[in-house]
Amino acid sequence: MAADAGLDRRLERIEEIVRLLDSDSLGLDEALALFEEGVGQIRRAREILARTELRVAELIGEEGEEVREFAPSGDVGSDDAEDG
Amino acid sequence: MRTRNLDLFADPPAEPAGPPAPRVWTVSQVNRAARRLLEETLPQLRVKGEVANFNRHRSGHCYFTLKDRSAQIRCVMFRREAATLPTDPKEGMTLRVFGGLTLYEARGSYQFVVTSLEAESADGMWKLAFERLRRRLDAEGLTDPARKRRLPDFPRTVGVVTSPTSAALRDILAVTARRAPWVRVLMRGTGVQGPGAGEAIGAAITTVAASGVDVVIVARGGGSIEDLWGFNEEPVARAVAACPVPVVSGVGHETDVTVCDLVADLRAATPSAAAEAVVPDGEALERRLGALGQRLGRALSGQARARRWRLERARDGLFGRARRVVDAYRQRLQGGRRGLSQAMQGRIRGRGARLREAAAAIEALSPLSTLARGYAVPLDAKGRLLRGVGDFGPADRFRLRVVDGNVPCEVTGNPTRES
Repeated sequence: MAADAGLDRRLERIEEIVRLLDSDSLGLDEALALFEEGVGQIRRAREILARTELRVAELIGEEGEEVREFAPSGDVGSDDAEDG
Repeated sequence: MRTRNLDLFADPPAEPAGPPAPRVWTVSQVNRAARRLLEETLPQLRVKGEVANFNRHRSGHCYFTLKDRSAQIRCVMFRREAATLPTDPKEGMTLRVFGGLTLYEARGSYQFVVTSLEAESADGMWKLAFERLRRRLDAEGLTDPARKRRLPDFPRTVGVVTSPTSAALRDILAVTARRAPWVRVLMRGTGVQGPGAGEAIGAAITTVAASGVDVVIVARGGGSIEDLWGFNEEPVARAVAACPVPVVSGVGHETDVTVCDLVADLRAATPSAAAEAVVPDGEALERRLGALGQRLGRALSGQARARRWRLERARDGLFGRARRVVDAYRQRLQGGRRGLSQAMQGRIRGRGARLREAAAAIEALSPLSTLARGYAVPLDAKGRLLRGVGDFGPADRFRLRVVDGNVPCEVTGNPTRES
């Protein structure tokens, strides 16, 4: 879960870093630190994108209080999906 | 028996008494016989006519009149059947009704018991119901475009409300798996057709929205307006409007707009289109990340370039400044040399003047100035000041110091004292 914590926030941060680096009010140490952070953010965002298996769950029970994961690669209309 | 009595060709009655009294019917018997006649002789009928005075009673039964130019029939539609109507027909609307004739014995009036009712145009009642609900939702502002929310750019969890066995779900999962497999899909299955579908769909939307999703897709494949009816019911509209996260309607039909479509934050033509609108394209994201990486690199080298430039500018500036500083000192030095001798002369002149002033001041205090006013001072041979009578003896020699010299003197008499 932590790995995909905010693809949106990562992209925003990377763009912010680019903006900051484009400005000329930075110290050199600061610029280097930002650059390193940006590279790290890109790497982690790519790790998120690299996931290939879709996770699907069904909410079951009267109030949808139960969550049952099921494999989407199989037949969607299988027994798994039909219960509840 | 009665027909026999009327038979003129029958044998005369054997009884000697007069003609038998004609049978007397009760009102109830008449109505019951008439009702039986109506119900048993006429088949179920399909009748076309204009509706008037449609009235839905509290009991759920509906009463109305069906008429043409010259005649009318009282009609009733009982609760069970009336509950299937999407809405009440409009006054004057041309209807086709199906049902059978009967007689309401309590009143002795005959009426048509309607088991199904539709507008003359096949989906007229549905359209009417749709328009009515739509007007209500419009009036409440629920269909206002300004109410539409922006979909999240990068949803982490997508809620899906649909039939669990539907092609719609398969399509949504296929699109999501292809474009954004990092997304998690949370599905709430529901019946989407038949009585109660509206409530079921509405409840499913509410349930899935409460499960921490970022966006909800409500989906169903295409179908006739009746098939899609669940998505035209008020509970769906209310649930969509109340949903705390954006809702995309993928209730698929290009031509039929459902109420769900109208209230949803985005309407997609098909479930697949809904999924495409909801999840970002992984490949596009990958490209964007690549571009961002390049921009990062450029920005950093830009920083380096900017520093080099600043350094050069600073160096040039420094030399320029240094030169200016040295020049300034040099100028001041030259100026100083000139100024110094002038200053010294000035100071010397100043001191001469002060000397003269001081001399004048001292002179003012000098006894010479007293002498100049005409006084004289007696002094003995040793230059001591002779102050009083006691300082002079008889025949003493002394001198008087006057302003411009000395005058030798001798005491010739006896000095006398004055008090």
